[in-house]
Amino acid sequence: MTGRLSAPTRKERRAAAESARDTAMIGHSKATPYLFSLPAIIGVAAILGFPVLYGIWESFYRPDSLGAPKEYVGFDNYVEMVRSPDFWHSLNRTAVFVFGSLIVGTALGLFFAFALFRVVGKLRFLRAVTVAPYIISNVAAVVMFRILFNTQFGLINRTIEFFGLDGLGWLSDPGLAMVVVVLAQVWTDLPLTILILLGGLMTVDRSLLDAALVDGASGWKRARFLTIPLLTPQLVISTVWLSYSTLTGLGVVLAMTGGGPLKATQTLAMEMYTVAFRRLEFNQALAIATFILLLNAVLTLVYVRVARKYEYE
Amino acid sequence: MTSEYRPEDEAPLAAETAAAAEAVIGPPPAGRPAMTLRRGLRQALLILPLVLLVVWTVMPFIVTLSVSFKHRAQVFADPSIIPDLPTLTAYKEVLGSESFTTSFVNSVVVGAGTTALTLIVGVPAAYAFARFRFRGRHFLLLFALLPRLVPSLGLMVPIYRLAVAAGLLDKRITLIIVYTGMLLPLAVWLMLGFFQQIPKSIEEAASVDGATLWGRLRYIVAPLAAPAMITVGVLAFREAWNEFTLVLVLTTSPGNRTLPYELYQMQGIEGLANFPGEAAFAMLTVVPFVLVYSRVERYVVAGLVTGSGK
Repeated sequence: MTGRLSAPTRKERRAAAESARDTAMIGHSKATPYLFSLPAIIGVAAILGFPVLYGIWESFYRPDSLGAPKEYVGFDNYVEMVRSPDFWHSLNRTAVFVFGSLIVGTALGLFFAFALFRVVGKLRFLRAVTVAPYIISNVAAVVMFRILFNTQFGLINRTIEFFGLDGLGWLSDPGLAMVVVVLAQVWTDLPLTILILLGGLMTVDRSLLDAALVDGASGWKRARFLTIPLLTPQLVISTVWLSYSTLTGLGVVLAMTGGGPLKATQTLAMEMYTVAFRRLEFNQALAIATFILLLNAVLTLVYVRVARKYEYE
Repeated sequence: MTSEYRPEDEAPLAAETAAAAEAVIGPPPAGRPAMTLRRGLRQALLILPLVLLVVWTVMPFIVTLSVSFKHRAQVFADPSIIPDLPTLTAYKEVLGSESFTTSFVNSVVVGAGTTALTLIVGVPAAYAFARFRFRGRHFLLLFALLPRLVPSLGLMVPIYRLAVAAGLLDKRITLIIVYTGMLLPLAVWLMLGFFQQIPKSIEEAASVDGATLWGRLRYIVAPLAAPAMITVGVLAFREAWNEFTLVLVLTTSPGNRTLPYELYQMQGIEGLANFPGEAAFAMLTVVPFVLVYSRVERYVVAGLVTGSGK
């Protein structure tokens, strides 16, 4: 009487299923999964992992120059960085650029997502149009915005002049240049923001909205107190993504203004580029790059923290 | 009361009721202008944001297209969106310039190379993570996906330094390898989710019938995975076609630049800006990809939304 009467436990069944799963399939050896996955892992490690670590490592060194060998200098490059007035100026510009883009991008993203949400039938055609800015390069987008905002013949100034006012020097005025850069950056980033928020709207429970409707809540109140709080997860994703994209975004700023006029659009990313490829101080630039990576991580944590406060239970 | 219920009896009954009601409370109000006005307003409120969305998205394209069909002087003289005398001068100029043709070929080569390499390396890896249970699976998967958080800005200086050290600067193959590396986490992530949705039982059934691993991949997995592979392929091509900041530092000679770099150069070099030329160049950069994109739009949108949840 050694036979078991009880049914196999769940753990045993799962173990049996696991082993059966692998033996059930013929034609591959133990090495196959590794052969399949290693090229990708090596590629990612070589192109992404290693260079980033190498960059952080190098930011603690001073390069060899004039016969003096390369040497470890600890945090000297970082001390140099925070002593530089250029760094603080670019940090200030970055704050304006990132938070400006976040505010404009999120507001427009929500507005357009709500607009698209209503038209289920025609959605497909409009959605394809919406994504258009995402499929063109930053440089092409910049060319378009330079034409749109051109002082002499741009459509924006023509419209302003039509109302009898003077056209503005969009790209020559330090304050306005930042506005144009923010708008161009938001234009390229908005499609993804809209798609993320639209995806969130699709999952909002209709019955909650209907209940609010029965209670007599107006459209605005329903959006403000019900839909937008319910969208918190998607708002966090789009905020994190927009912030990441603008904080580390270089293409739009570089092609549009190159940091000018009068350094008005010299963001941290531009500052890193300038220090590296104009002044050729690579180790100094790596300190700035490392700072940007850290800042990005900190900002992401802050967004998630803030969102947790507002989330519905 | 033995008569059966007949629906047609209802109509006269309803008419009778209506007549009785009218007799008591008066005729129904005829044509309410206030209501139609309000309905029209509601319609407008629904449509206005959509119009704004289209204007916001399309306006930069329209003004650029408009300028690309003008002469240089005409840009300043003729402000209309539809030019009085449209001309193809700018397009002829751009298509005839070596800077465009060379960089176009480079972009096609780098785009195709990146797409092919990303699929060749990424798809088997995703399949392995989705199908096989092997030691270190979770750790290796994390290792393959986590670097997705690295922005290309963080790579710029280190990759440039490493390329210089390895003598790989100013080569198209370097661009292909770097772009592939940047896209692999996304490719593995998208394909992994897709492979996990294909029921294992299909492959198990084929296996019972004696299909080898290669046979299953060739005749079952590949056809089923085609849509996901198109998504990954288009996203890879888009990245290679549009990428600007890395090609800026990784190439030095005009013969190896891709389209965005060449367009950027055009902006910088011209003393008196050649707006129609720039506009035509930008349009010619955008159009080929738009043609590809319009055929596979739904795959791309699906991929974008999945890929954004980093």
